[in-house]
Amino acid sequence: MAKDNTDTRPRLPWAGKQVSLEQVESELTFLWHMAADNMRISQNINVRTSVLNLIICAFDTETARKASALLREVASTHIGRVTILIFDTNSSTSNAVTSWVTLRSFPIISDIMRHHFEQITVQATGSAIRSAANIVQPLLKPDLPVYLWWLGDPPDDETIFHNLINISNRIIVDSSTFFKPEEGISKLSTILQASPNSALSDLNWARVTPWRELIAQFFDASDYRPYLQGVDEIEIEHAVNPSSRPTLTAQGDTTPNPTRALLLAAWLKTRLSWKLTANESYADHDAITGTHTWQMTRIISPLTTRMLGVGTGRSGKLGSLTEGKRISSISIRPRVQSDLRPGTICLVRLTSTLDTKQATFTINREDSDHVLTTVELEQEALPPRTVYIPTSRNQSTLLSDELEIMGHDHLYEETLHEVFSLLA
Amino acid sequence: MPQRSIVEAPNPLREGLRIKPTLEPCVMVIFGATGDLTHRKLLPALYNLALEHPLPAGFSVVAFARRPYTDEEFRQLALDSINEYSRQKPVNPQVWESFASGIHYLQSNFNDPAGYDKLNNLLNALDQERGTSGNRIFYLSTPPSQYPEIIQRLGAAGLNRNRKGWTRIIIEKPFGHDLPSARELNRQVGKVFREEQIYRIDHYLGKETVQNILVFRLANGIFEPIWNRRYVDHVQITVAENIGIEGRSGYYEESGAIRDMVQNHMLQLLTLVAMEPPIAFHADAVRDEKVKVLHALQPLVGRDVITNTVRAQYGPGWVTGHQVPGYLEEPGVSPTSSTETYVALKLFIDNWRWAGVPFYLRTGKHLPKRVSEVAIQFKQAPLMLFQRSDAGSQVEPNVLTLRIQPDEGISLKFGAKVPGTDMQIRSVNMDFFYGSSFVRQQPEAYERLLLDCMLGDSTLFTRRDEVEAAWTFVQGILDEWKNEPRESILTYESGTWGPQGADEFIWRDGRRWRRP
Repeated sequence: MAKDNTDTRPRLPWAGKQVSLEQVESELTFLWHMAADNMRISQNINVRTSVLNLIICAFDTETARKASALLREVASTHIGRVTILIFDTNSSTSNAVTSWVTLRSFPIISDIMRHHFEQITVQATGSAIRSAANIVQPLLKPDLPVYLWWLGDPPDDETIFHNLINISNRIIVDSSTFFKPEEGISKLSTILQASPNSALSDLNWARVTPWRELIAQFFDASDYRPYLQGVDEIEIEHAVNPSSRPTLTAQGDTTPNPTRALLLAAWLKTRLSWKLTANESYADHDAITGTHTWQMTRIISPLTTRMLGVGTGRSGKLGSLTEGKRISSISIRPRVQSDLRPGTICLVRLTSTLDTKQATFTINREDSDHVLTTVELEQEALPPRTVYIPTSRNQSTLLSDELEIMGHDHLYEETLHEVFSLLA
Repeated sequence: MPQRSIVEAPNPLREGLRIKPTLEPCVMVIFGATGDLTHRKLLPALYNLALEHPLPAGFSVVAFARRPYTDEEFRQLALDSINEYSRQKPVNPQVWESFASGIHYLQSNFNDPAGYDKLNNLLNALDQERGTSGNRIFYLSTPPSQYPEIIQRLGAAGLNRNRKGWTRIIIEKPFGHDLPSARELNRQVGKVFREEQIYRIDHYLGKETVQNILVFRLANGIFEPIWNRRYVDHVQITVAENIGIEGRSGYYEESGAIRDMVQNHMLQLLTLVAMEPPIAFHADAVRDEKVKVLHALQPLVGRDVITNTVRAQYGPGWVTGHQVPGYLEEPGVSPTSSTETYVALKLFIDNWRWAGVPFYLRTGKHLPKRVSEVAIQFKQAPLMLFQRSDAGSQVEPNVLTLRIQPDEGISLKFGAKVPGTDMQIRSVNMDFFYGSSFVRQQPEAYERLLLDCMLGDSTLFTRRDEVEAAWTFVQGILDEWKNEPRESILTYESGTWGPQGADEFIWRDGRRWRRP
């Protein structure tokens, strides 16, 4: 009988040794013994701290490999165990689960001290994909929180996602990689509403954080605080590549992708308590230019009127706002700028009018590392300020930050729902 | 002022941001701006705050000093210092340009009223040009002898308060030379500034690991129940330096180890370790508890000083591979000097938590290495089950060590069975290293403290009663030492852990110094 030498098992050299799911724990124990022995010989220090479980979900092996490579840079967050789930929807093998294990070790500062974490890779095909949560559950390290990092757009089959969410404490996505950004971010809002107990993070929200800080800083100054109530126009620009149709860049970004601008706009809207009302509101999306525009109502409360009416600023009496409703606008525009990664915020401008006085607060990206903040008041020129905000903050840094946070980011979740309502 | 109502309304854009709120634009006036502290610590700290953008756009610096510089010349000096001493270098040119545009130099003697008039005019101009809104910090970075003059001149020029914004003053250590001088300085500064305007800085409190003492104690439920006389045998606080006096004989001859280290840094560490949990993490709540510890210190007076302290001077020896002279051979040091470069103390805190628990403090120069730590040694297990085997003698007490510097972290020593068929016990250390657990850069102590002052948070600054309580304790020791003959000062070889007498001092209690 001729021997069949064709091995149809998938090969993932970066994932370590292929073992059955039952062998995972014993193989890891063996690897730890080996590591301890190596440490004795080389006199290095073996740092083994376990803080969390990380599950990574990818729909192809190449995406999974890249995520695995990126973990080198987040080793210092003390991941106890990583489980990479690959949903192979193209495989001809039906209903199969294949697993690999490895122990990963990275130097901290120098080679003398090394971090370790366990990595299990599971490839699921066919109906096994829908049972991913059941497959991964016994592989989790006990009593440690579970973070789920979902790569790419939220899936059409929400069951898989929901089951994984149900075993996770925190879900991390990166909407800068969504191929259908508006649709994806709206879907996230729906998923979050269905699973209110799970915390959700978007790395794109973290990219917006320095901008939120700078905008907030304008109004930390008591002289400018009143102008916050008078803001009636918000303009945001985001970078796009020259290509006119959706494209995935070499760095994994989608262009055009207005999600950062949308998050920033929605955040400002909620913080300023602006309302989209049925009668007076107006929303427009020009698909050709990629411009979003909203007009909405803001309510000037009696309290605001009183406070502003009596105020005196550094340069004399401030204007006042008449109690009642005012129409305000938010616009989001793409800016073709091929030297910046798509989605990068290029400009935020808030225009405020307090009866007789106008003030403009602008943050403009000067280059890939710096922004210039300016405040323009009538008859006053204040010094501009250059601030270091590099666009090069990579995904691993943002992921590390997210892995340090437990619990809900309520502000993000509120903002996400606001994006949903703006897009709706 | 009517506009305060809206100022007090919180900025809604701040909600949910993970970093501290930024401050209102302000001016920091640095007296003694050409000195070492300004260039090594203050300017790099301010630049780092600008780089990481907590500083607002209008933030400005006025460098007030005697030497003749122009704005441009001083900016260049500042740039050189930041390039040399900043934790983030090289300097980012664009951020520097923006930051430097707010740096101004004002040449004046500290006792010249015209200089303060010029300062007043400059501050008013900056309020208009840079929107600093009358918010001012005066930083005294001069020799302490200049403090009274500057404080009095600031008051005379009306710079101690203004209608438009807030005014604060930061005073560097040493805060007084002894109890009377500390009280006098408090009185002088209190005549011009209200207590809530005064920020007495001890940079030790800005260190991450010092702040972590409180977090470690009060954010973890498992330690506080054993943090008392029932479980703790004794506490050792060590602040060791491997350097000598580094050419600062003028300062050190007047100071000595007890004034330089014990009265401020070490008593601060002691209060953080021994204090009761405050009712809230607010400035006065925390400082109330720290002051209670200082008030509860059993006073050392008369013969108690002799039995509970050891003082010594370093002799010649070898430190970190270099041959070093003895203290009395250092340039500028009197051959008959009685200034101590090493001190060891045994203290007791007379309260319910710590009654009977000795706190051993030691600090010195030219010790084998630079290390600061607090070690809490717990009592032995009440019943030694392993006495019949050899293992009984191998059991060591549990020690919890809070390492302040270097290798910031926490260690817990406990006994573990050595694998094998016989009963062998070895002590093992469970170590937590800040450096490997949190890879991100720690801010310098001054960055944290300057930011806190700008925000009006005085939790990490020393209050008037705290300073005086610390001096009250130390004064008893100083008074008694003054009556002792010079021969009572021991000598230790440089590069060793102190004099033999210090070892005997702790052996008498059946204990020994840790080797950090």
